[in-house]
Amino acid sequence: MISVKDIVPAAQNNISTQFILLEKGKQTTTTTTEGHNKACLALVADETAAVHFQFWGDECDAFEPGDIIRLSNGIFSYSRNNLVLRAGKRGKVEKVGEFTMTFVETPNMSEIRWIPDPNNSKKYMQEAIVSAHSRIFPPK
Amino acid sequence: MASILMLIASHEAENQTELSLRQAFELLQPKLKPPFSLAIPNPEEYSQLNHAILYGILCEPHLAKTHIKHLHAIVTDGYCSFIDLLIKVVDGLYVKLLDSVKRQLIWVSKEMIDVSAVGLGNLLVCLLRQIVGGDFSDSNLWLCSEVLNIFSTKWGCLLEEEPMILASALYTYLRLLADHCRSIHNHNTKLEALKRLEIEFCVRVLKEEFHLCLKIGRDLVRLLQDLVHVPEFRAIWKDLILNPGNFKTPGFSDISQLYCTRTPSSFFSLQITPEMEAQLRFLLTHVKLGSQKRHQSWFTKKFLCGPERETLIIDIVRFICCAHHPPNEIIRSEVIPRWAVIGWLLKSCTQNHVEANVKLALFYDWLFFNDKLDNIMNLEPAILLMVNSIPRYIDMTHTLLDFLFLLVDNYDVDRNDLIVKGVSSSFSMLVKQGVIHSLDVLTSCDVLFPFLRERLLSLFSDRKVKVYKDLDSPQSPQPLGLQHCSGV
Repeated sequence: MISVKDIVPAAQNNISTQFILLEKGKQTTTTTTEGHNKACLALVADETAAVHFQFWGDECDAFEPGDIIRLSNGIFSYSRNNLVLRAGKRGKVEKVGEFTMTFVETPNMSEIRWIPDPNNSKKYMQEAIVSAHSRIFPPK
Repeated sequence: MASILMLIASHEAENQTELSLRQAFELLQPKLKPPFSLAIPNPEEYSQLNHAILYGILCEPHLAKTHIKHLHAIVTDGYCSFIDLLIKVVDGLYVKLLDSVKRQLIWVSKEMIDVSAVGLGNLLVCLLRQIVGGDFSDSNLWLCSEVLNIFSTKWGCLLEEEPMILASALYTYLRLLADHCRSIHNHNTKLEALKRLEIEFCVRVLKEEFHLCLKIGRDLVRLLQDLVHVPEFRAIWKDLILNPGNFKTPGFSDISQLYCTRTPSSFFSLQITPEMEAQLRFLLTHVKLGSQKRHQSWFTKKFLCGPERETLIIDIVRFICCAHHPPNEIIRSEVIPRWAVIGWLLKSCTQNHVEANVKLALFYDWLFFNDKLDNIMNLEPAILLMVNSIPRYIDMTHTLLDFLFLLVDNYDVDRNDLIVKGVSSSFSMLVKQGVIHSLDVLTSCDVLFPFLRERLLSLFSDRKVKVYKDLDSPQSPQPLGLQHCSGV
């Protein structure tokens, strides 16, 4: 299990972490060749950092703000220009508790500009902080 | 696989308690029917057998009698392990249990009373704690009624084995009656029947076992005064005030004896479910002042939604003042202090009668404070809320101080001396112990209403109370008001 501050964009389903759901955005429905699909962008965080999380399908209604969620084999990558963490087809999200977790809202890993690591083209490294806090879910 | 014990929402992680019960049951299922093995199990087998039998009792109602016979046959520890498991299920899973499982839980609890199981009192406390104040849902009223039925039908046995549990039940049901007797619920016939039984039970404890009621201490009075409009309790109230001898309890001669008994902290947990307790304690131990908003709104959404739920704030404030005393390292840290949480709760009240009761809950120990018996930590949130609200939230200071003097003047006019003494020694003790540096912060506060400042000064003018912590201390401000306020 890694801390949210240590997640790095990659084309792999290998992120296992735990966080608390702070806020859910509006549900959107997208139509693909496989049919209609619900999606919902959310702000999640642990004690080290926050990140945007994308719920998919029935996940959208299964979680509420304040839920503590365990992600196994998730992926952190670009989805329609947004850098989001999600379970993806091979990953899993599970509710493991409620309320009893502290969090920070900055840095937000989705609000960081990443560039390919010049020493290892398969890896990304932080280039600049676009915004300290989420611009989609401003702090309360 | 769908659970036959509890409701599991989609995407919910497996519950460890359920898993351990189910796995033991699946493993031992062939051995759970007669003829039972005569071999003596080793400790590990014994524990597994307890798990399996409990799962069988909860999930196979039609075989419950066989399972309980099996339990009686194997038990070697006075049912201690079995009760521990039951407590785990009640504390951790109750809300999610299927209705049939809840019914079995009540049934097996009664069985445990019949065999005088070890730890029985703790189990009954756990059941009482699952009843939620201000909750008029069918499932909550069902639990009120079933647990009440346990106390009424097993009265004699409980009185002999666990007498104090009757005091706990009295505390719970007096509190619930305050909700159930509110006039807007008069038309609910189901509630009406329950209310009658609750009154009957409470009156019985008060009349027949008053010596147990005395152990509740001053909060018994606080709960009873909310019920004086109910004829049965008006009669008891009258006896308390005028004919204490009617309780036929040697040594009891005046209501002030109740006032002067600090309520043991265990009573304050009765109205707080384990889940609520965990969240409150987390808030008061980990969440930093300034970043508490999201946690507060989650707490409100879960526990305080709806106008009826608001009465819970009274119990929460009492719990925070009397049952959650943080250690010094927390007090000195950035964690949100108790007074700030209480300030937020007080601000969430929308109904006057709730707000008044919350303020009473906050000041209740002030009225009867005795430095030899009482704990200053019960007083601390109120003074810090008043002092820290100056000057930005002076309205809070005004409303609290005003309410305190209202209590001093009116709470019990026949025992006014006692209350004046309690409140003035509360102030002096708070200064003496350094909770606040001196009363100057109130008495010399320009933004505080002059009449409140005068009331404060006059509270001390008749009594030579030392209101300054240490006159020689260099940090102490010059005691300008001292000659004036102590009358020397």
